[in-house]
Amino acid sequence: MATDTPMRDLSGSKKAHRGDRIFNRTITGAAFTSLLVLAGITIFLGAQTIPVLQDQGLSFLTTTVWDTTGVPPEYGIAGMLYGSLLLAVIALVIAVPVSLFLAVFMVFMAPAKLSKILTNLIDLMAAIPSVIIGLWAFYVLVPPAEEWQQLLNHYLGWIPLFANDSGNFSGTPFMAGLVLAIMMIPIVTSITAEVLKRTPPELINAAESLGCSMWTMLRYVALPFGRGGIVGGIMLGLGRALGETIAVFFVLKIVFDINFFNILESGGGSVATLIVSKFGETNGEFEVQVLLAAGFFLFLGTLFVNALANLIVRRTERLRS
Amino acid sequence: MTTVMERPESLNGPAIEQVPQRPWSKRPAKFWIATAIAVVVPIAVVGLIYSADVTPPAILLTVIYFPLQLLAAGLAALVTKGKHGILDSCIIVLAIGATALSAIVLGSMLFTIIARGIEAFRPSFIFQNSVYISPSTPLDYGGIGHAIIGTFLIVGIAAIISVPLGIATAVYVTEVRGRAVPYVRFFVQAMSGVPSVVAGLFVLTVFILTGVLRQSALAGAIAYAILMLPTVARTAEEVLRLVPEELRTGALALGSTRARVVSKVVIPAAKTGIITAVLLGVARVVGETAPLLLTALKNDQTVVNPISDPISALPTFIFDNVAQPYPDAVTRAWGAALALMILVAILFTVTRYLGGRKRSA
Repeated sequence: MATDTPMRDLSGSKKAHRGDRIFNRTITGAAFTSLLVLAGITIFLGAQTIPVLQDQGLSFLTTTVWDTTGVPPEYGIAGMLYGSLLLAVIALVIAVPVSLFLAVFMVFMAPAKLSKILTNLIDLMAAIPSVIIGLWAFYVLVPPAEEWQQLLNHYLGWIPLFANDSGNFSGTPFMAGLVLAIMMIPIVTSITAEVLKRTPPELINAAESLGCSMWTMLRYVALPFGRGGIVGGIMLGLGRALGETIAVFFVLKIVFDINFFNILESGGGSVATLIVSKFGETNGEFEVQVLLAAGFFLFLGTLFVNALANLIVRRTERLRS
Repeated sequence: MTTVMERPESLNGPAIEQVPQRPWSKRPAKFWIATAIAVVVPIAVVGLIYSADVTPPAILLTVIYFPLQLLAAGLAALVTKGKHGILDSCIIVLAIGATALSAIVLGSMLFTIIARGIEAFRPSFIFQNSVYISPSTPLDYGGIGHAIIGTFLIVGIAAIISVPLGIATAVYVTEVRGRAVPYVRFFVQAMSGVPSVVAGLFVLTVFILTGVLRQSALAGAIAYAILMLPTVARTAEEVLRLVPEELRTGALALGSTRARVVSKVVIPAAKTGIITAVLLGVARVVGETAPLLLTALKNDQTVVNPISDPISALPTFIFDNVAQPYPDAVTRAWGAALALMILVAILFTVTRYLGGRKRSA
């Protein structure tokens, strides 16, 4: 931003033109819409959360019961909260290496023309609606992915992570994580590529003239330089993965028990998907409130992750400038 | 002396073109042979396995070809460059592999959407609605006309709500420059992270459960507007920043009020960028499903009244038809996906075109 702000001098002054004062106030008011919406979400969803917590106590967050017909009905979303995290971690483990290597290819290896085409393709991939990714995943990705899972289980099943006792490989956390990874790759890649592109060329040239190999240059010049931005990009992707609803809906079987780490076992949890899948069959006001409360905790989680991501990105930007 | 000392040719005649020698890029023949072997052998091995066995190609590629290629590249590098080259060659293989993987995923998505979607496409599919259509009805009857109208209606209203607010936010940050600029930017950033399902829940609590609105196009549009606003605001902020400061000071010096500077100078100067911002916002929301499932529900009839009835849009139409056990319903979902993807592609191309023109101008 320009250091001198000539237009600001008049903003509080009574000398300002009357039309300008109105203009300023209108614009300032409109600029706070985002605050209004965030506050609105916090207040209104928060208000719906209070009766749920009063009725269910903390067991709403710590248990895995979902008994809508019981007397009294019991609800616990621990499995969903944990499931959301598990899916996000699986997605990160798959998406981050792919994105980093893809970005390295785009920035340091590909010829300029190919790099430009790839940038456009990555942006196009980011623009594909999640419902279409869900549709594609359901019909195209799931059949081969089930075979990969069986293979993983066959050769690495002795590791508890890849164990599967039921023989049912559909609707697993791994599958949902894979789909989330596909949705994360364009986000993480485009941010990482942006950051890597800004590595000062003199540093790269210096490294190369010292005889550094590609690996040394990446390890000691480019990656340390872009670390903050890359981490921020990964966190933004994480926020997206936590809030993703529809694509997960088609590939994950929602079960309320916590599936701790058997990622190849059918059934897992996701708060966002729970809300959509249970909304159609809600019975009475309280059940809607339960879903709203679940949404409130989802909102808090994503807000936290995103705020952290932005903080990291901004701090590195400031350090650089 | 009759013979003149020979002068360098460049001083006599036209300067000869000096081709840079680039000695560092000269590779010995050994390098090319090793590279060729490293590329050809894994492909040949996998090809042999594929022709001899029935292993599915996807597994063949991931489990056999990829490690083999890494190994071959590592060995080739060891032979030509010594052990320092191993990591480099592995990075090259991994980078190309990651790129190929992503390209395959994207290609597979686009190919299936087009190949499966085209089966459903016919005039009736585009123009008719789905009244009297059950999942098992043949494809010649019924279509997504109502969902297309629904999408345009909801996105249109969302744009009417969010575009002025988004531009105003950008104007506040770049033109008014009040004390709260860092906070406003922080809140816009935070808002861009709101999950779409939460936006739907918010509209549900504030407008629908309180009885202010029914589940309708307007309710869906408010949820869309919440998701659109940050995109519009951030992109508009970027383009307003590109307007030269001289235009503002010049207009002010001529005695314009600030409202006029913004409305007659700054925004017209950034017109293309503002359009890009709006289109990016539309592209951000056009495929969002979760908020509509909560706020607009579905409707097989054509609805044009934004507040009276539930309404279907393309994403919700796809959502309803995906997991149906009837092949025709699934084909309808693919058809609607193709229609939605065409919309997204148009928005994408137009924003690229506008963005590219702005940069070159």
